[in-house]
Amino acid sequence: MRSVERREFLKGIAAVSAATAGSALAPTALLCATPSYAGETEPPVDWRKAPCRMCGVGCGLLVAIENGRAGAVKGDSASTVGNGLACAKGYYSVQALYGRDRISRARIRRDSGLADAPISEALDLVAQRLRETIRQHGKDSVAIYGSAQWTIPDAYVASKLFKGGIGTNNVESSSRLYAASTMTGLETSFGLDGSIGSYEDVDHADAFILWDINLAETDPVLFSRMLDRRRRDRSVRIVDLTTRTTRTSYASDRSLLHAPHSGLTIANAIAREIVARGWVNRHFVDRHVAFKRGKTGIGHGLTDDALVADGAIASSLDEYKSFLSPYTAERAQQLSGLGADDVRWLATLYGDRARKVMTVWGAEANRHSRGTWQNNLLYNIHLLVGKIATPGNAALSLTGQPSGGSSVHDAGTLTHTLPRGVVASASDRRRAAAIWGVAEDVIAPRPTRTALPLFRALDRGDIRFLWIQATNPMVSLPNLARYRRAAAKEGRFVVVSEAYPTPTSDVADVVLPAAMWLEREGVFANVERPAQHFDQLVPPPGEAMSDAWQMIEVARRMGLSRLFPWDRRDHVARIWEEYRRFHDQPRSALPAFSDLRERRGVVWPIAGGRETKWRYNTARDAAADRARGDFDFYGHADHKAWIWLRPHEPPAESPDRAFPFWLTVGAVLEHSGAGAMTRRIPTLHRSVPRAYLEMNREDARRLGIANREVVRLVSRRGSLEIEARIDYRSRPPRGQLFVPSFDEGVPVGQLMLDAFCPLSGQPDTTICAVRVERVRGRNGP
Amino acid sequence: MSSRAHASSGVGQRLFLIASAVVAIAALVVAFGPTAAKRVEPATAAASPFPTGEPPLAAEADVFRTNAGVLAIDPGPAPRRSAHPRTLATWRNLRAFPGAPPRIPHGLTPDEFQNGSCNTCHERGGYSQRFGAYVPITPHPEMGACLQCHVGDGQLMAIALPSTDPSARCRQCHTPEAGRWTESTVDWRPIAWPRLPRRAAASEPPPIPHTLEFRANCLSCHAAPAAVAEIRTTHPERADCKQCHLPAGEEAGEFARPARAGGAHRGGAS
Repeated sequence: MRSVERREFLKGIAAVSAATAGSALAPTALLCATPSYAGETEPPVDWRKAPCRMCGVGCGLLVAIENGRAGAVKGDSASTVGNGLACAKGYYSVQALYGRDRISRARIRRDSGLADAPISEALDLVAQRLRETIRQHGKDSVAIYGSAQWTIPDAYVASKLFKGGIGTNNVESSSRLYAASTMTGLETSFGLDGSIGSYEDVDHADAFILWDINLAETDPVLFSRMLDRRRRDRSVRIVDLTTRTTRTSYASDRSLLHAPHSGLTIANAIAREIVARGWVNRHFVDRHVAFKRGKTGIGHGLTDDALVADGAIASSLDEYKSFLSPYTAERAQQLSGLGADDVRWLATLYGDRARKVMTVWGAEANRHSRGTWQNNLLYNIHLLVGKIATPGNAALSLTGQPSGGSSVHDAGTLTHTLPRGVVASASDRRRAAAIWGVAEDVIAPRPTRTALPLFRALDRGDIRFLWIQATNPMVSLPNLARYRRAAAKEGRFVVVSEAYPTPTSDVADVVLPAAMWLEREGVFANVERPAQHFDQLVPPPGEAMSDAWQMIEVARRMGLSRLFPWDRRDHVARIWEEYRRFHDQPRSALPAFSDLRERRGVVWPIAGGRETKWRYNTARDAAADRARGDFDFYGHADHKAWIWLRPHEPPAESPDRAFPFWLTVGAVLEHSGAGAMTRRIPTLHRSVPRAYLEMNREDARRLGIANREVVRLVSRRGSLEIEARIDYRSRPPRGQLFVPSFDEGVPVGQLMLDAFCPLSGQPDTTICAVRVERVRGRNGP
Repeated sequence: MSSRAHASSGVGQRLFLIASAVVAIAALVVAFGPTAAKRVEPATAAASPFPTGEPPLAAEADVFRTNAGVLAIDPGPAPRRSAHPRTLATWRNLRAFPGAPPRIPHGLTPDEFQNGSCNTCHERGGYSQRFGAYVPITPHPEMGACLQCHVGDGQLMAIALPSTDPSARCRQCHTPEAGRWTESTVDWRPIAWPRLPRRAAASEPPPIPHTLEFRANCLSCHAAPAAVAEIRTTHPERADCKQCHLPAGEEAGEFARPARAGGAHRGGAS
């Protein structure tokens, strides 16, 4: 039966490819900025579209399919994301399907360890344990922890099965680790999740402020687009506001160093300067902005009940001005080390009416115990000068993962959300119950736990069954040792759906073989709000199946078949059309499946078949009411965007005598996430084979540490050994260290503090206090 | 004035607010001048764009170094025939081993010899009437003592230029023994020239097969009319070469997990 499926499948590919090959090679080169290279000939292979899955930029790729295998990749010039360009990860991405240690069969834990088993037996066991655990310990003792790399269909099925089928809100995903503060930031400032502008902003902006983001390595194609913009107009400025000197610094026109955890102060100081100089755009602010105070002194998420309901107390421009008055440029200099002159200069960039400004930020701002506040404060600046929601005036948070930005949490895979709206709202629950065909009271009205409290509950035993899909929390969580112990405790049943063995599959009781990108049909999003569809292009290995289909198989074994009445061949289309019913409103209308499949990526909301590139702009967004002027911030009931009075508050942990260094954890261009895919790609692996510790030359000299010496990094949570590199790829200032986070052999999560933003629940997985020790015996005397 | 105090201590907060208000008012008085933002560059802007004051990390920074002469994307002179088209063979001929500083293949005027005015031509490149060829561009024009590393042929150095002596010009590169500059008096062989690793697909951008010391500015060798034909890029307008072309790195073998992976040692956090 398998071989029949396979033959039919290949026939299907041939039929579709004839149609897409034509459109793929259409004269799009004429339209895009990059030249076409006439005279180059490609061998006649079948090039099929697929969005890149390696980061949140979501470039359009064309993948060459030959004899049922993916054999090459090129940028898709018909995609407006990369305009024909990708980065090294994208070009080599298809090799990640063919790693030697690919998991192609299910594994079940026996006395001797994990042993291969038929997938049907593994799915039976998962369903049985799920049923038993619910019977013995209640609905809220089972949970699913999914991924910012889930496709939308995966996410939707997880939400429907757990919230609509089982009736628990124990649904979380690694989106919480990547995107929660972005989401909460947008919701508090604008009332709605989802980016405001589009990548096209890059083509129009005159100044780029890169706020604590090494864009050349984290989002290379977007960075290239900025360099292109500057090449065309030499008055364009790229400003790198950073805690260490990186590749991005060197490509920028100015690089401004500041101390970690000083971003809140710097943002307020820029706002204060704008106000003091009279650069506030009163026309915009008077019509479109309201001022709000929230709670302060909100802690750092170190206890499970730490999530804070913000409240929004009405404030005013005058109150805002007096709130800002302590944030002088000099005070910012004192706290951040950034020069007062430079604070003023940044303010002039924003204040200059003739200049369109785009601010971009990422992990360092978001994975922060004041992540939501940092997002609010950056929007504040743009709102004060009215530079938002028009081409080239943009504030964009980059969330790092294919579905971290705007799809997974929309599909309802955070504890408090539904495919539209939140579980706490009776009308949102009613809508979901009607579409899902379940009784209204099945959907529990209270959110349960965000990501870190969910793993803490596993530690305590409140959660007994945990299904982890497409993510690697046993590398990516902070305070890792605690959660690794938790997963291995007696009486916990852990299911892991994965394509490769990882530290997470090491702790599993059942490992389910996952079909990867291209081996199953799917839809990814990116931070620009599009939905990008890809067909199944190659068969999955062995018994591997998609995450969505694994859940459907288990649901059927639990007697929940009627929730998933779909055929394996068309379930993605059926899921999409059902998901669309949640968004039958202008402000979030999704494209029809046929459109999605045809086109390169469709940016919602859709109005009359047209994409919305700039939301809230009444000339460009059909959901915005023209009667309100140029803008309608319809996310809030008062149709205004909100400027928040958010003070500087110190972090949960700062360097002290015992732990004198700031450790920052981040990305390198070559690797994605915890490296499970990219480390199996030879070229990427050779380029950066293992993690390293970057430190300042002076600090190394003072501690007697030589380049490439193995040292020990110690924090209050744990320690690990790592090779020190001096003047390698980036250059931290004195008192700071950097380690890339892709290497499971150097799990820096062990060192991090499990603090989180009390508004968003996003953990602070980028920075903590550590010390460096020499390792005796390893490096001579 | 920690803001923890700001948030928690009432008295401290009040004193702090008063003090800040005074500072703020003072600042306003001082600062309140022009009300329209001008493109003011702060005093520090004139200094190095990099904050540490240290020279930049060449391997990271040089790829972004722009030089109008280097960038073939700027409309340059119409291509003319070069008396010395550069190929990998002629390029290697000037280098004793991979990474060696190339020898100077032409005579120098006494001024050039004494003052090292190489950058006059080699910083910007372009067409040289003197040699009837396009001038290669140095990836490191800031290193002024060219002759410290780049040496010439004693005979050539002695020739007063401009020289029209064809024999001298030919012998710059061609010696009786094919492929060798001079007869070797040592029994020595260079390490192998870098080769591109076998690629899985024609569409994959080739990794960088060589080290980057003193040549991290990719375009100086891989773009412009004097670029070596076999390694000339088709897309010099792409500014960030290392977005796609990765340093080949070190011999790291395949990624392999420790032996315990998937074994009985469940949750082996150490």
